Amino acid sequence: MENTTILSLRGITKYYPGVVALNDVSLEFRRGEVHALIGENGAGKSTLIKIISGAIKPDKGLLEINGKQYNSFDPFHAKQNGIEAVYQEFNLVDSLSVAENICFGENNGFLVDFKKMYEKARKIFEEMQVDIDVKAKVRDLSTAQQQLVEIAKSISRNAKILIMDEPSAPLSVSEVRKMFEIVRNLKKNGVTIIYISHRLDELFEISDRVSVLRDGQYIKTLETSRTNPKELISLMVGRELTESFPQKRGTIGATALELKNVCGNGLKDISFTLRKGEILGIAGLVGAGRTELARLIFGADKLISGSVLINGKPVRIHLPVDAINLGIGLIPEDRKRQGCFLEKDVSWNISISNLRSLLKWKTVVDKNKEKSLAEDFYDRLNIKTPTLMQKVKNLSGGNQQKVVLAKTLATNSDIIIFDEPTRGIDVGSKQEIYHLIRDLADQGKAILMISSEMAELIGLSDRILVMYSGRITGEITKEEFSQDRILELASGLN
Amino acid sequence: MKNGLIKTVINKYAIIFVLFGLVLLFSLLSPYFFTLQNLTNVFVQQSYVIIATIGLSFVMISGGMDLSIGYQMSLVGVVTAILMKNIGLPVPLSILLGLLLGVALGLTNGLAAITLKVHPLIVTLGTMTVYQGISYIASNQSVILNLPPSYKAIGQGYIGGIIPISVILMIIVSIVASFILSKTSFGRYVYALGSNEEAAHLGGINVNKIKLIIFAINGLFAAIASMILFARTGSAASSTGPGTEFSAMTSAVLGGISFKGGEGKVWGIIVGVLILGVLGNGMQLVGLNTYAQFIVKGLVLLAAVGFDTYQKASAQKASIKESTN
Repeated sequence: MENTTILSLRGITKYYPGVVALNDVSLEFRRGEVHALIGENGAGKSTLIKIISGAIKPDKGLLEINGKQYNSFDPFHAKQNGIEAVYQEFNLVDSLSVAENICFGENNGFLVDFKKMYEKARKIFEEMQVDIDVKAKVRDLSTAQQQLVEIAKSISRNAKILIMDEPSAPLSVSEVRKMFEIVRNLKKNGVTIIYISHRLDELFEISDRVSVLRDGQYIKTLETSRTNPKELISLMVGRELTESFPQKRGTIGATALELKNVCGNGLKDISFTLRKGEILGIAGLVGAGRTELARLIFGADKLISGSVLINGKPVRIHLPVDAINLGIGLIPEDRKRQGCFLEKDVSWNISISNLRSLLKWKTVVDKNKEKSLAEDFYDRLNIKTPTLMQKVKNLSGGNQQKVVLAKTLATNSDIIIFDEPTRGIDVGSKQEIYHLIRDLADQGKAILMISSEMAELIGLSDRILVMYSGRITGEITKEEFSQDRILELASGLN
Repeated sequence: MKNGLIKTVINKYAIIFVLFGLVLLFSLLSPYFFTLQNLTNVFVQQSYVIIATIGLSFVMISGGMDLSIGYQMSLVGVVTAILMKNIGLPVPLSILLGLLLGVALGLTNGLAAITLKVHPLIVTLGTMTVYQGISYIASNQSVILNLPPSYKAIGQGYIGGIIPISVILMIIVSIVASFILSKTSFGRYVYALGSNEEAAHLGGINVNKIKLIIFAINGLFAAIASMILFARTGSAASSTGPGTEFSAMTSAVLGGISFKGGEGKVWGIIVGVLILGVLGNGMQLVGLNTYAQFIVKGLVLLAAVGFDTYQKASAQKASIKESTN
């Protein structure tokens, strides 16, 4: 029983515009194991789980479940074979009750038997040993409770394979413990868990085996008990961690930005300084208030109290346009929603924040100046696009991000805030962006870098601030950088 | 490759072909259609619609909507008439005040949309009703007859006996609007708002300020359209103007202004209005009544929107194919 294969993937290949998301990936999952899937952003994890859940079709390769082969696998086949998934974005109907969500999609005939439904939900929660009111509306639950409802939903559908995508991301430390207990129970009942997380410490606690993906390639599967974080990281990154980050060449100068007791937008009493030539990393879990901090400094959200000083002078920033005029630039975390204009071309995107310097007669956009600005950044950032007239939506993620970078850099800011600068982009572009950030710092720009990627924070920052629940819980100097220390502070343990 | 180029041209300029096709069709069906007299008529009839639609398109390109332009026109026309006839102000001054009123009504829409943080569609549904009420109270539900001849010239006069003043106004407004939208930084911001308001905001564009200016421009253009329409009618009644918002919306969509915002060009709008204008005029000449015209106009709009969606979907597929190969 222990070692029987329940699901195997053979030669799975998937193409997306401009990128091979998965290249000839073969993998086996056993009955009743917790199988971790790791890899950097863009390694192909999400594509792989979407294929397993039938949401997308591979271009090549096949799936075998319980000995049955599928060339064409769709959500219906997935459901039939007991494959369920708990995604980062929950799939719940906010306005319905917990029980209704758990029993969603079950065919109970014309009329809903609420009594039976509540009973069923209650029984599942009992097994899971959690206490949630089955009649409560989902929108009134905490994130952790909503996740439990998702898990309960999978159980009610007799999940044989449960995919969990970054399940710990929205949870507090004690909630993670609880979730682990549930996972162990499921495992005992013979459920296979495919566990995706970028938090390595968790994998060592919960998983039996771990498979590594890199750039759409299958790298290796290891017994968790016979490996260590260092080995996994080097497998994920494909090289020693220290090699992948550019070395500092410039010097750290005077204070460029200072925050004193800043409150607002969920932030409490934030004080810190950022100096010229410095890369200040901001670490923290989802919901710690990092993006809120960036938006507050940039004038996108309201500051309630406290003061912001630029080059020692107090400033008032009401709108992003004020921030830009004061020499602050922001690379927002969600490039599609906040960063670029997908339907517009590359050149248009690069110039939009900087039109004032491209005008003739103070009103008309000078096409020549615009073109040379765009060409300048096309060369400098190595943007891969057939022409500058290409719509941004047709570029790959990495190149879209470069367009957003160009747009912000075109405003010639002295203080640049990067919010998750490499989220969801390929390793090659990542490297280029790391070098760019370091170059900017070496030129004397002050850099604030928010990131959820440990390697990136540790490799690139000169100093790291850690946030937890709207506060800064610690400052770590370069000599003391360690993943453990950051996680400790980020979990509010100190 | 050459095949692809032809396809792009057809897709991009499809509505021009449709317009030519309609002109050809009606020329064959009615001997009177393709005469200078009749074509001038079409332009004179449509000039105010074109101006109003261009104003509306500023709002639509920025991702908004204005249902109130019909009653803005009604209110501006009635007030201008009162200033001229009842109060006895000079015609030029009355016109100027009327245009300013248009700007004020537009600003009111803009302010309401910004402060209430509700989609302009809903906001202008409200202001439309308010403007309607004010217009009928101002006119006391009666028609102001015999507007001054110098005013009527805007809608009825000709320069050099050949070119209608209204058409000249329409051409001037089109050129100015086209210049603003395609050449200036402000124009870029209008498109930026419609393509991605959040990115525009974070990209340092003062979104609220731009929205106010857009609504002010829309109000001004609606007021200009109102002058032409009331001058052509020769009398002022509160019932003149309403309905323009729907002709304008239909023409805008026909002319390639996306409901989602971020897209559209002035020449497209003009062609859009002319398609509806030619349809109306041509069907009249052929002997179809107004109600039959409604049916055809509605179907044309649906066909245009359907074609647009289809074309975008296939363009999307083509670009994906291109980048994978």
